[in-house]
Amino acid sequence: MSNEGIKPKLAQTPPDESADEQLKDTLKRCSPETIAAALAFRKSGDVELVPTVVLGIVERFLEPDQVDTLRNGDDSTKFMEDLGMDSLTMFEAIMMVEESLGVSIKNEELWDLRTVGDLKAFISSKLTGDPVESKAKFYPIEEIAAIMPQQTPFLFLQTAEIEGSKATGTYEISGKEAFLEGHFKGNPVFPASIMLEALGQLGVFHFLKTESEGGANSIFFTGADGVRCFRVCKPGDTLELSVELKRTREPMVVYSGKITVKGEKTAVADEITLIVAPEESE
Amino acid sequence: MGIQRVFVTGIGIVSSIGNDEASVAESLRELRHGFAPFVQESVKTPGNVKLAGTVKGFDVSSPDFEDWTLPAPYRIRRDVLRSLPPHGTYVHVAMAQAIEAAKLEQADVSNLDTGIYTSSAGSTRLLYQNSKRLHEVGPMRCPPTGIVSSIAGTLSFNLVAQFKIRGNSCGFSSACASSGHALGFAYDDIALGRQKRMFVAAGEDINDESLLPFAGMRALSLESEPEKASCPFDRNRNGFVSTGGGAVLVLESEEEVNRRGVQPYAELLGWGQASDGHNVAMSHPEGVGLSEAIRRALRSANLDAGEVDYINAHATSTMIGDLSEGRALKEVFSNEGHSPKISSTKALTGHGLSLASALEASILSLAFKEGFTPGSAHIRELDEEFASLNIIRETLAEAPSVALSNSSGFGGANVTLAFRKV
Repeated sequence: MSNEGIKPKLAQTPPDESADEQLKDTLKRCSPETIAAALAFRKSGDVELVPTVVLGIVERFLEPDQVDTLRNGDDSTKFMEDLGMDSLTMFEAIMMVEESLGVSIKNEELWDLRTVGDLKAFISSKLTGDPVESKAKFYPIEEIAAIMPQQTPFLFLQTAEIEGSKATGTYEISGKEAFLEGHFKGNPVFPASIMLEALGQLGVFHFLKTESEGGANSIFFTGADGVRCFRVCKPGDTLELSVELKRTREPMVVYSGKITVKGEKTAVADEITLIVAPEESE
Repeated sequence: MGIQRVFVTGIGIVSSIGNDEASVAESLRELRHGFAPFVQESVKTPGNVKLAGTVKGFDVSSPDFEDWTLPAPYRIRRDVLRSLPPHGTYVHVAMAQAIEAAKLEQADVSNLDTGIYTSSAGSTRLLYQNSKRLHEVGPMRCPPTGIVSSIAGTLSFNLVAQFKIRGNSCGFSSACASSGHALGFAYDDIALGRQKRMFVAAGEDINDESLLPFAGMRALSLESEPEKASCPFDRNRNGFVSTGGGAVLVLESEEEVNRRGVQPYAELLGWGQASDGHNVAMSHPEGVGLSEAIRRALRSANLDAGEVDYINAHATSTMIGDLSEGRALKEVFSNEGHSPKISSTKALTGHGLSLASALEASILSLAFKEGFTPGSAHIRELDEEFASLNIIRETLAEAPSVALSNSSGFGGANVTLAFRKV
């Protein structure tokens, strides 16, 4: 792959010897099992073979020290976080999967493939024609920052996922937040009020992505009920945020929210109320 | 802050005459060339080029970068290699050498006061392959790193990302004067206090696509004997021998040199540039741009012509280019009664295009550090045009005190760098 020379498009049907040779050449740095599975898939179309081919291709792009992580991992193994693949390596792997299995993957579909399981399920459904199971949509910091009214240093959301009326997100306390210097002197503790702000921001993100008609709105925090904190959060902790839409009654939007750290209950809010003000017209 | 003095504190060399300081110095002392038979990879292409300055120990000939091999102990990770042009491997290795030679820590390399200027023609081989593949199978089957590995700024993108450079970065493109411009502007950045440290990195491929077009220009020697093929200043010179490779210099301010307590190779005193305004591919026959570049370099360095005791000439071994430079040197020096020693190390290394100036500045830095003055090889019968110049035929066992390095590019872009022994 990569800087290689020209290879004619793979013949789809009927499989012949030269097409098999091309496939072997495409997969030349993959394991023999991967190549055998790809050849068998070409003859039989058996989707059971897909995971072997896909994982074999992923493995071929890994640095030696990451191979065991893939082999010992399960479908939840993440390409970037767990296997150290970057988006360019993903492109390379996907291109090889496309060539080997005769499928094509759109860019926007690619962004959603974060785990080994995502990729296997996606390719199988492409091949069988079954609809791709709807799943949570993931948003990286770039996409969050692009639409949020809050910005650094007052943006407390680094990743987000949206699935229906629910949203989850994360914020890692770096310790560099300016307010930690005074909260408290010599003992940096993440303020509960900012935890609540982070939940509110996740609500704002959910609203802008799902409920907003796309018109420019101003969104303000207007109330919170049933707020309880259970744990002190310090630099190095990652807040695991989740909110769920309870009701929308214009101009109010109401979410419930919860924060955990490493799965440990940290804070809850029964109701977080946001008010959406339509853009003032002159 | 006043004007800062600028020092060369590290070099890295991957060249036809050696892949480290010791072997390059030995080749220069013994006047040992780096040429080997050039075998075209495509046997279908008619061609008559017989020699090239080959880089030993690297095999980057395969169109697939995963086949590339580097000499021990160097290794480059797959995800670094995939966005490199073939010559990117040479430069990556030269960067590692330069960082080690300058005794730089990671924090010295990666900060807002350390930048990098690069020069490379890009990779015509990869441009060709990617374009061909694009038309054949469409953009979605083209390698995602195809652009960054092939276009002219390739070294900048790659090295900035791979070495976590955070200061100024930019690619220079003025043909065979490219890395001379890169060194000149890097000097300015440090002298003016904009940066404390600059890497200057240059490299070129050596393959059919990078080399053969120069045969079409009638610029290459078609000789098979190295001594006849690359013989700057010789009456029978007949074109240059092409080479590839990589060279990296570390330039630092006096403050940084003192803070880190390192022994510099040389001081870069200043530089000058001027253009011929004459022809798209040939030097002005009287060397008008080059003589002005030399004068400006002397002014910039606050030197009198008489203080210069060695000049590393651009002299590639072409009929017109060498003559033009000879006339410029006569104009500035011998007609004024000065006789600095002159040689062209391209007789041994070959001509590396945008690599040339950085390679020669590295060689000059090495000569200062090791205490020698490289001689001009392969002269059997000196062209009488150069008779009034002090062209040295052997390597001398003493370093110059003050030296210039000349470079000239297509369209008549000329750069002269001025160095002093420390």
